[in-house]
Amino acid sequence: MATRKKSLLKVIILGDSSVGKTSLMNQYINKRFSNQYKATIGADFCTKEVIADDRVVTMQIWDTAGQERFQSLGVAFYRGADCCVLVYDVTSPNSFKNLDSWRDEFLIQASPRDPDHFPFVVLGNKVDMDNRQVSTRRAQQWCQSKNDMPYFETSAKDGTNVELAFQTIARNALAQEAEVELYNEFPDQIRLNTDRNNRNGNSDNCQC
Amino acid sequence: MWIHPKEILIPPAFWVDEMRSKYFVLQKRRGHGESRSFTSLLVNTLDSVWDTKPPPYRILHQTPKSEVYYEIAIGLTQEEIVKDWEWLAENLFKVLNEMESEEEITNFTICKIQSLNAQNNQDESDESANFKVSASKFQTLFEMPKEERLVNTYACTYVKNKIPNQGNLYISLNHICFYSYMLGSETKRVIRFAELEDIKRHGQIIYLKTVNNMHYNFTLLKDVKEAYGLIEQLNKMAIQQLIQDPDSPIVDHDASVFQRFGRKASNKPGLLRDLTARQKSEEYRNYFRLPQTEIIDGQIKANIWTPYAKRYVGGNIYLSRNFFCFRSDVIDLVSLVIPMRNIKSVEQKNDGPHRYDNQIVLLTAENVHFVFAQIVDREVLVEKISELLSQFHVPISRERAKYDISWSKQSALMNSFKTNLSAEMLKIQEQKLSRWESHFRDFGRGISMFRTTDVINLIVEGIPDKLRQEIWLLFSGAIHEKDMNPGLYEDLVEKAACIKHSSTHDEIDRDLHRSLPEHAAFQHADGIGALRRVLQAYALRNPQVGYCQAMNIVSSVFLLFCDEDNAFWLLASLCENLLPDYYKDKVVGAQIDQSVLNELVETYLPELHSHLDQLGIIRMISLSWLLTIFISVIRYESALHIIDCFFYDGAKIIFVVSLQILEWNCEKLLKCNDDGEAMEVLSRYLDGIYNPEYRLPPQSDKQKPETQPIQTLIHEAYTNFGAKISQQKIEELRNKHRRLTIRQFDIDNENTIVKFHADNMYFDREELHLLLTIIREEKSTPRKVLQQKAHSALGGESPILLPTTATGRSAGYAENNCSRSESYSVDFDTFRALFHELTPWRNCVSIDLAEKLFRLTDKKSTGSIEFSQIINALGLVCSHKYTEKLKLLYILHLPPLLSKAEIEHVRRPKSKAKEDAEEAIEAEDFFGDDPSESIEALPSPTDNNFDEDDYALITATKHLHSLAGLSQPSSSTAGAINGERSSTFYVDLPRQHGTPMDVARSQNGASGSTSDLIDNGLRHQGRFESTDTFSDISDLGAVKVTPPQLNVETISNFSQISDLIMATRVERTDSTTDTKSLGSLRYLLDQPDDGNAPNKNIPNMKKANFQFLWRSLMEIIGEQDEDMRKAYENLLELGNNNMKKEISLDSFTQLNLGNGDEPDSNGNPTTPSVESNATTRLFQAYEEELKQNSSTGGTGSSSNSSTDVDSWEISINQFIATVLAVTSIVQCFYMKTPIKENIERMQKNRRKCVITNY
Repeated sequence: MATRKKSLLKVIILGDSSVGKTSLMNQYINKRFSNQYKATIGADFCTKEVIADDRVVTMQIWDTAGQERFQSLGVAFYRGADCCVLVYDVTSPNSFKNLDSWRDEFLIQASPRDPDHFPFVVLGNKVDMDNRQVSTRRAQQWCQSKNDMPYFETSAKDGTNVELAFQTIARNALAQEAEVELYNEFPDQIRLNTDRNNRNGNSDNCQC
Repeated sequence: MWIHPKEILIPPAFWVDEMRSKYFVLQKRRGHGESRSFTSLLVNTLDSVWDTKPPPYRILHQTPKSEVYYEIAIGLTQEEIVKDWEWLAENLFKVLNEMESEEEITNFTICKIQSLNAQNNQDESDESANFKVSASKFQTLFEMPKEERLVNTYACTYVKNKIPNQGNLYISLNHICFYSYMLGSETKRVIRFAELEDIKRHGQIIYLKTVNNMHYNFTLLKDVKEAYGLIEQLNKMAIQQLIQDPDSPIVDHDASVFQRFGRKASNKPGLLRDLTARQKSEEYRNYFRLPQTEIIDGQIKANIWTPYAKRYVGGNIYLSRNFFCFRSDVIDLVSLVIPMRNIKSVEQKNDGPHRYDNQIVLLTAENVHFVFAQIVDREVLVEKISELLSQFHVPISRERAKYDISWSKQSALMNSFKTNLSAEMLKIQEQKLSRWESHFRDFGRGISMFRTTDVINLIVEGIPDKLRQEIWLLFSGAIHEKDMNPGLYEDLVEKAACIKHSSTHDEIDRDLHRSLPEHAAFQHADGIGALRRVLQAYALRNPQVGYCQAMNIVSSVFLLFCDEDNAFWLLASLCENLLPDYYKDKVVGAQIDQSVLNELVETYLPELHSHLDQLGIIRMISLSWLLTIFISVIRYESALHIIDCFFYDGAKIIFVVSLQILEWNCEKLLKCNDDGEAMEVLSRYLDGIYNPEYRLPPQSDKQKPETQPIQTLIHEAYTNFGAKISQQKIEELRNKHRRLTIRQFDIDNENTIVKFHADNMYFDREELHLLLTIIREEKSTPRKVLQQKAHSALGGESPILLPTTATGRSAGYAENNCSRSESYSVDFDTFRALFHELTPWRNCVSIDLAEKLFRLTDKKSTGSIEFSQIINALGLVCSHKYTEKLKLLYILHLPPLLSKAEIEHVRRPKSKAKEDAEEAIEAEDFFGDDPSESIEALPSPTDNNFDEDDYALITATKHLHSLAGLSQPSSSTAGAINGERSSTFYVDLPRQHGTPMDVARSQNGASGSTSDLIDNGLRHQGRFESTDTFSDISDLGAVKVTPPQLNVETISNFSQISDLIMATRVERTDSTTDTKSLGSLRYLLDQPDDGNAPNKNIPNMKKANFQFLWRSLMEIIGEQDEDMRKAYENLLELGNNNMKKEISLDSFTQLNLGNGDEPDSNGNPTTPSVESNATTRLFQAYEEELKQNSSTGGTGSSSNSSTDVDSWEISINQFIATVLAVTSIVQCFYMKTPIKENIERMQKNRRKCVITNY
């Protein structure tokens, strides 16, 4: 293993709008639930010190906006993520269906070096609700089909499984870090403002 | 066209006389037409260098004794001028001959022409003749469609390779074009406005840079400012159009909007005037916050009497349809908006002091007087105002449909959900209120209050709760929209309530409780209901925006202080005027402003910027600041102060406050090592911003540390940055970053697509990038889009194409990715262009391979193919996989891709028009030694004049044929055909024949139940039916003998044809017929890596198709050498052999094995070794037979030979094996096409306007 030890874990929470991403984060960090959160615009951010594998690490949790038109903006946050948490709402089949899209979008945009083994954790939130519509079985099957992603059923409201889920997240993120020291930073991003063509003087560039 | 006669003294050296009469001469400008003499070169060069723009034709009038010529008519085309000439000959020649003095003749002529000119000008556009010449030149030089309208031309110098070229800049709505002609060498450049990345001006030089990194320098000696402004404006319009509607990125101009009352003052071209008016109107609307529909109508200098200062202030009066506005010369000193509907009277008044004469007095409905003085054109102004007033219609509430919805409008929520403010704070509110009231006393109240800098001070202090609604509506301009659309909100609410199951409504519902949850009003049904109604109504009003998160947050704050309908109109003005494009897809407007903010930070806080840029943080933090005007990051009671300023100052306040926040935290931020830390610093600071005048009881037990009062923040922000950042500067930066942001979207999108397709087998990443670029460029060529528009306007449709249905919201990943690359899927025209520009098969002219390949690729007959399919299709053609390429070529010549109808159609014109000697020779050459096998021998199909391209009609024809054949089996000829065909097909065919015929059957099936029945009957017999008209190509007599009366009958009922077309189309989409029929042929494209796939699914080929295949092969290679000729003959022989033997799978194998010397995977042979002489003889004999048949009418008796012709066929293995033995073919097909060079060449040609027709 390489000498540099990362004491910072970056975790991204993705999922459809109003599945409870912000609530999960706050339940984990502050051990509190409130139904007074505003819809997240852009992204939100929290940190927490955690002990995982006998190491103290700082976990940086990035909470993102869920509405589709913000999806393309998430890219800026994906950079350097160590673990990606996919959240759906067990009362909303659509939010479950869209996990595929979130996962693939993340893989394409963050382009981790080893996309097949990048640690994802899937959370089925709102299990405290009565009108459940996505069965555990279905969710587990899907997770197994995608490289056996760990799956938890949580409730941000009463705190069910939240601690456990985030412990797994931290462990998996650390394991990832051990495996891949540094992966691909954003590849081939073309910036506009920098003039890549070093033109000489006033002659124009037309090759005709 | 007739022009105002003008005298010409210079002898017409540059002109050639074309026609002459006693008093008139028709002349042509040298250099037009074919002549390439030195003079014409010179004249052309001079015309190009001097900005003369003479028309190519003119008519002069001269009397024999006079030295003076009068130019009386000009013409852009010969036709036009000849028409004028003929008019002269008819009407004037005789009359003039009867006149006595020459003077009389000249006077009469001039008078006559003048009256003609005047008459014409009444109904025609008011463009000058010069401009018309330029416009027509622009269209011909750059092959622009008529719809692409020229705005103006400018003489300019374009420096290319350090050599200056003097010429003209043509600016049209979507293009900048340059043309120069220097002694025989033409220079053309075409630049689309949408592709500009940078526009700069240094003195007389305009510098342009395109997204392809092309740089252009144009030097203009005059009008450089106008040209630059125009380029900026048109670029802005082009980019905005891209945001508005990416599918049709063409700027169009609706002149009717600009119908103005005023006189035309300038002699500028009409479109240029309109554009200038558009620009001015935009500034006017933005300054006075008027509705988007207001067009400025006039501007006049005047002084206004300001009662609060007891003096006159100089400025300008602006008039538009619904508003009378005033703005002082001194920036922001005073401004005034008076809606026309509020004007009670306008009077001229003269009792003032002498220096302030020419006064007018305006009386408003509220009985307030406004005095203006020193108006130069006072009468005109008063007249104008009364004209506008007379035309003014008071907007009335529209008759509304009744809905079964009961709801009541919610009044401002603060009234029912009172916040408990301490006595001290209530006192502050009272004090503020009284200050505002005294302000109203001095400056007036309502829309027409004097807006001065005094009001800013009041606003910065924070507007008292009770006045917020009034002031917000007033300064945002929402009040105007509300007044002009009475009843609209109610209507929208009720309509929206009737919509069930809308994903937008679901999204809204999810966010209702997540808007301003800390406020009691939004924990109650009243507040939630009102918020829902406002958001749903707005989503209905503006479907392009629909609902975007953040809209809920701002709306909920509006609802606290405003009645529900007012909140709606505030939201509307927010989305449509104040925060342009913020809530659209990808929140594009907010992204643009993020870049603007980034640049502002770079300018004013350079040190901090470089640090934050490293952390990549500015983009992360600023999105919510912009989208929610800080409400989501600062406690709302504090953010309210920012909103107060926002409605007065627009987005400027967001920028200055952002800068101030960053500056305030500068030191802490500089110490941060990663983005997370910086985020924490800022959020801790923002959380702590408080409002000492509006302290709410603490929400939670934990009181957050207070950092700074909001008043200080705003005050500091204005002091430090307010003066530096003007609205104009923001607009400039927005223009720049709008370009860059849209460009960045394209780049990101392309990167993702390239990443996704990176492991395709044909192209590397760079080539993919280039391919995407060229597709994007091709698709946005206005030429093309405009043509399409025109096409659809005519009601016509492009061949094969069904309108692509808009795809819904992407749900799964596959769909998601589709929607991303959707913008890179191409329609047939674009595909054809790409095919012809990029692939080596462009040489093939007799068969439109592009069309075949497109249909093969377009699996669902949607009329467009996706990028991945393009990669496979073009990739294969350009690759070095010669075997696959040959297979593909073979497949492209199979039915149904190369149908019988098409074969006949392609042949027919040549047989009729023999003018093309070369073609004829080639054909002879091609079809063998016997001239009797020339195409004339082939029968022509019934005389349907279908268009070659219109596949739909071809299909319809096929239907007609099959109808004719099927529905009247009693008809002797039809029966004969049926009979003879049946005789062919009752033979057990090899399995693979089923596939192409299935198509025919199912297509026939669509045409009527009769054929269906017959089909079913045949199917029951377990035999392959033969009724398809296009798979049995060699059935030469069949079509010809279709009973004419039947055709007449069917065709006369023309609607039936279109019905058939429709039926075909519907079926094509509904069923999988097409997929099925072509499916077996598609394996090559579908599984490109499976190179050794068995060929058993590929049907054998008939003779006529084979002949075309061979011709295509020849054309691709470019010549036919001895080897090829031999191979051709061998193949013909093979086909004959196949024909002679009983056709069964067994005999195939036998024959093949017998001949083959190297069986391939399928056990089929390769090169057959047959003596060529024998082949020729056999072939000739066969042709003789054929000729006889066709000469006898090809009916009835010929069933035997017809069977033979039908059964001539070769298999793909025979073809491939034979062809692979020919070195020249293999060499040619083995060559990999340099796609990169081809794309670059194509781009270059486009830039230089080298026009190719495919």
